[in-house]
Amino acid sequence: MRFLSRRLIHAVLVLFGVSILTFLFTSLAPGDYFDEMRLNPQIAPETVVALRAQYQLDRPLPVRYARWLNSVVHGDLGYSFSYNSPVGPLLWVRARNTLFLTVTATLLSWGLALPLGVWSAERLGGLPDSLISWMMAGLMAVPDLALALGLLLFAARSGWFPTGGLASLGFESLSPINELRDLTLHMFLPVAVLVLTALPLLVRHVRAAMAGVLHAPFLRAAQGHGIPRRRLLYRYALPAAANPLISLFGFSIGALLSGSLLVEVVMSWPGIGPLLVEAILSRDLYVVVGGVLLSTLFLVVGNFVADVFLYWADPRIRAGPVAK
Amino acid sequence: MIERRKLAKWLVVLVALHGLIACAGFFAPYDPVEQDRQLPYARPMKLHLIDTQGRVHMRPFFYPLRMREGSFDQYDEDIARAMSLKLFAEGPRYRLLGLLPCRLHLFGAAGARICLLGTDGYGRDQLSRILYGGQVSLLAGLLGAGITLSLGLGIGAAAGYFGGWRDEVLMRLTEPFLALPWLYMLLGLRAFLPLAVSPLEAFFLIVMVIGAVGWARPARLVRGVVLSAKERDFVRAARGFGAPHRYLLWRHVLPETSSVLLTQAAILIPQYVLAEMTLSFLGLGVPEPLASWGNLLANLQQYSVLTSYWWMYLPALAIVPFFLGYLGLASALQEWADPFKVGRGT
Amino acid sequence: MRSRNASSQQCWMLLNLLLALAVGLAPVVIALAQQPAPHEDLLTLSGEAGRSGGRLVVSLRAEPKTLNPVLATDAPSREVIATMRADLVHINRATQLTEAALAKSVKVSPDGLQYTVTLRQGLRFSDGQPLDADDVLFTFRVYLDESVHSPQRDLLIVGGKPITVHKIDAQTLVFQFATPYGVGERVFDGLAILPRHLLEKPYQDGKLAQIGTLSTPANQWAGLGPFRLKEYVAGQRLILERNPYYWKTDTKGHRLPYLDELVFLFVPSSDAQVLRFQSGEADVISGLGAENFSVLSRQRRGYTMVDAGPGLEYNFLFFNLNDLDGKTAPEVARKQKWFREVKFRQAVSAAVDREAIVRLVYQGRGAALWGPVTPGNRRWVDAKVVHQPRSLDKARQLLREAGFTWTSGASGDSALIDAEGRPVEFSIVTSSSNADRTKMSTLIQDDLKQLGMRVQVVPLEFRSLIDRVMQTKEYDACVLGLVSFDADPNSDINVWLSNGGTHLWNPSQTHPATQWEGEIDRLMEEQLTATSYEQRKKLYDRVQEILAVFQPMIFLASPDILVGAKNTIGNFHPAVLEPYVLWNVEQLYLRNGAGNSGR
Repeated sequence: MRFLSRRLIHAVLVLFGVSILTFLFTSLAPGDYFDEMRLNPQIAPETVVALRAQYQLDRPLPVRYARWLNSVVHGDLGYSFSYNSPVGPLLWVRARNTLFLTVTATLLSWGLALPLGVWSAERLGGLPDSLISWMMAGLMAVPDLALALGLLLFAARSGWFPTGGLASLGFESLSPINELRDLTLHMFLPVAVLVLTALPLLVRHVRAAMAGVLHAPFLRAAQGHGIPRRRLLYRYALPAAANPLISLFGFSIGALLSGSLLVEVVMSWPGIGPLLVEAILSRDLYVVVGGVLLSTLFLVVGNFVADVFLYWADPRIRAGPVAK
Repeated sequence: MIERRKLAKWLVVLVALHGLIACAGFFAPYDPVEQDRQLPYARPMKLHLIDTQGRVHMRPFFYPLRMREGSFDQYDEDIARAMSLKLFAEGPRYRLLGLLPCRLHLFGAAGARICLLGTDGYGRDQLSRILYGGQVSLLAGLLGAGITLSLGLGIGAAAGYFGGWRDEVLMRLTEPFLALPWLYMLLGLRAFLPLAVSPLEAFFLIVMVIGAVGWARPARLVRGVVLSAKERDFVRAARGFGAPHRYLLWRHVLPETSSVLLTQAAILIPQYVLAEMTLSFLGLGVPEPLASWGNLLANLQQYSVLTSYWWMYLPALAIVPFFLGYLGLASALQEWADPFKVGRGT
Repeated sequence: MRSRNASSQQCWMLLNLLLALAVGLAPVVIALAQQPAPHEDLLTLSGEAGRSGGRLVVSLRAEPKTLNPVLATDAPSREVIATMRADLVHINRATQLTEAALAKSVKVSPDGLQYTVTLRQGLRFSDGQPLDADDVLFTFRVYLDESVHSPQRDLLIVGGKPITVHKIDAQTLVFQFATPYGVGERVFDGLAILPRHLLEKPYQDGKLAQIGTLSTPANQWAGLGPFRLKEYVAGQRLILERNPYYWKTDTKGHRLPYLDELVFLFVPSSDAQVLRFQSGEADVISGLGAENFSVLSRQRRGYTMVDAGPGLEYNFLFFNLNDLDGKTAPEVARKQKWFREVKFRQAVSAAVDREAIVRLVYQGRGAALWGPVTPGNRRWVDAKVVHQPRSLDKARQLLREAGFTWTSGASGDSALIDAEGRPVEFSIVTSSSNADRTKMSTLIQDDLKQLGMRVQVVPLEFRSLIDRVMQTKEYDACVLGLVSFDADPNSDINVWLSNGGTHLWNPSQTHPATQWEGEIDRLMEEQLTATSYEQRKKLYDRVQEILAVFQPMIFLASPDILVGAKNTIGNFHPAVLEPYVLWNVEQLYLRNGAGNSGR
């Protein structure tokens, strides 16, 4: 319990720190939201100055930060210049869609990476291992956006999948079964891209961790006892190899919100990707700050989960400093 | 020893691949920035041994391409002009390994350009660009990954080994490092640099910064392993005997992290090579007309290229062996150092 | 986001409207409505009569940010708003001439200072509320209110003073100008008439900005355009429905628009837009790049691709001619000695291979430029501006005359040096997200290498670029493009006036820095108050000729407007003015009535 409340306090501190630093960083980058108007021959420079003043962009950083904090307290998370509305609601709706996509993709990629990695480690240097290595190297060489475009092209040519988006027009009028089908079809390609790009890293780490324990004396002993191969691999070897995988899993949780931004843009997924990417480029400051804070929250949670798992899964760590 | 042979095999492969890149000037027939405005998006030229009259030539030859009337990317072979391929031909000037002025190329042709892997939208030879591009990209990848991993190892090991408040502070520090919009800082950095700084220098500076802020992931991975490793029986025993921290870390704890680190390295290098694409989009990458794998691959992200110019995919194919080489080397090293290896034991 | 999508999009910045032309030239097709309710003064449009019903699906590159016409500045918002609003006088995108819209007639006083506008009778907003002169009065009060910060406000300042508006009766208003205004009634184009019954209260509470955001419920927003708000789903789509009170009919007396629904899908990457169109999920596509256009043309399946010819975008290279005080960027200040030399700029212009730019950047779907007025702007382009072909010899001669010489450099190439023996080296900044301009810069770099100039291309992120060019002024040269949203010269007047904020090479001068800039100022001011087209054309031709001699901008090329639509769409007549396809959205219809089931 004490551990939990300490972590909570730390999390709040981290969020504070991140918000301050984000403010600092955003002021480092040249240009602001209203700069684009400067290139519009129809808008007088004075209008741009007036607009900057109206949105307080001409005020010093601490003042802006204080005002932003105040708006956080009210649940608004600041005000978007482009949408003329509070940032909070803009983010909530879209974050839901993003999570829907990334949670599915994360579960699937771990579900695939574990058996692939184990298989590969078991046949170290054998044909399956080399085959998987080639595939992973190939996947690493293809940029995720090119992969996304390729899949979209496939969708357009074959007509089997919709070319992006979350649901068809007229989704509301479909029967529940067809709704599910529609949703699955729409999700298939973005999930595929996310899984394929996540795989090399995961498979590689699973393989490395497993390879490290497969020759361990305790496993050879277990094998000697006639424990079936499968049970041996997944019940005994995998937990022993879990340490780096747990940290990785923490990252997977942490990346739930921020890991799919660009893929969402290409696949027209209505998550926070398109919103944030546009906001970053157009310097819609508070949307960026809001997005960063939200993803920090996920990171904090992810790390927390990983730490708990680490203590729980590894008897040595449990016996160590925590006991003191 | 089978592990040692494997290790040697991967080392040879990687050295050969890097040699190819290091001597790009020799293997590439052309200057990577040389444009040919009559030859944009030309498909790879075919080498022939038998001409249209059915005569067999001793030397491979090719027919130069001619743009079809009224088109911008369609070509016909000019079968009236068979040009033979010359090995060890004189070509554009370059410096071998950056030092030796030289004009000798592995192959070339007089009178027409031979582009075995096709050309890009400016009519530049893709083969030459892939080879030269590797110089920038591999350096960036190795540099970035090196910085990231050494920082990650240092910080992760310190956090895991010493534990307590140090662990707490360092690990909370990873969160902002993973979450902050570094992009804005990089844009600020670019604005701060005068334009007179050569774009390539600016790029390497940015790679170093990215490398430096990327430590958080490996640090957390290392820290997890160290947390566990330092409580191993033999480490505790050594500690019981009063072994100093430095000895414990160096001799017993850090070797445990090698598997995680090697895997990270094999994955980080490709990631840093590809990261340049995103950087280019933001004006922080290797600028035109210089070649890099990042900006070669960035072409693939255009729908029109995807559907019309398949040879623009060759760069992706060309770098697969490199990435595979790193993966292979990493696992060979890991097997070689495996503490549980048969016949060695602990 | 990264690929070329952002490319031409960069030009979304301009939201022009307006201008020119006396009243007489105006209405193409106006006749009074014969049919519906007797007290309604409807406008009948000529053109093919279509059939009612169906839904048209359009993809947008970004989400619209607001539905409020007073505040919208981004392209997607403006595209959506254009289908929901109406103005007093409208520029026909096809003819580029004005037509009476909500105004039944506009009478100009002989001195050109007074415009008497008579509204059509019996018109109603999309929520059924009637339109009268008070709405118009309110509208102009809002646009002109300084505290509202409408980007359109600056257009309503004529001769340094805001236009004033008086109401005569419920249907008649008088607009008073401080000086005669060459732009004439074009000024009214794009100024959406606002529903006073909905906006007056928020306006008085100072909350206008919060009204008309996307979260506004459909029943609290109304306009005079062919469509009205139905549903908005964040991040996904905006659905508009037919405005039953719309004030136009077809020749058969059928009330427009034909379509029941207009759906805007948010598809944030241009490549994904192409795929949506190709798979049939979107019905029309516009703002295509040349490469994607040729891909679509090659694999045509049930759709038509149209090259509408050069639009109003002009791309150019310019040098930093700002008056830098010694402290900022001494490096640049030193190089300005070259940049200020007219012959240097002329030499660069002569060395640029415009033909290659059109061929390699636009695949031939564009036009080489020697002035800011593109061939697409037929009424204003000056035929006397010389289309000088590329000539390296001429360039070398000009450089020699200006005191430059060549030495052979270390690598054997000859390097250009100035009279003081310094090598000519400079960098060209351009927007990294605009693939077209980066490509142009790379071609120019190679062109200038042949003159012995060492040029570096430095792509910068867009806002960093604007900051450098407009604020810090730390740059040598820059490749940029502007899109005039109207054919009239006035839409870009602030680019040419030396005190203009977008006088890019040396903005906001208090006093013209050169004699020729002063001359341009004089000519532009003069055409502003001249009222006949011939007179204005003569003055503006002169401006184009001066620009062609002094080359403050080295004009490069203009891309064609490339669009496509399904074969089932009737009345598809793309224009080179924005909105390219949807400008006649009220007349678009689905031939077989099939509509987009919108899988």
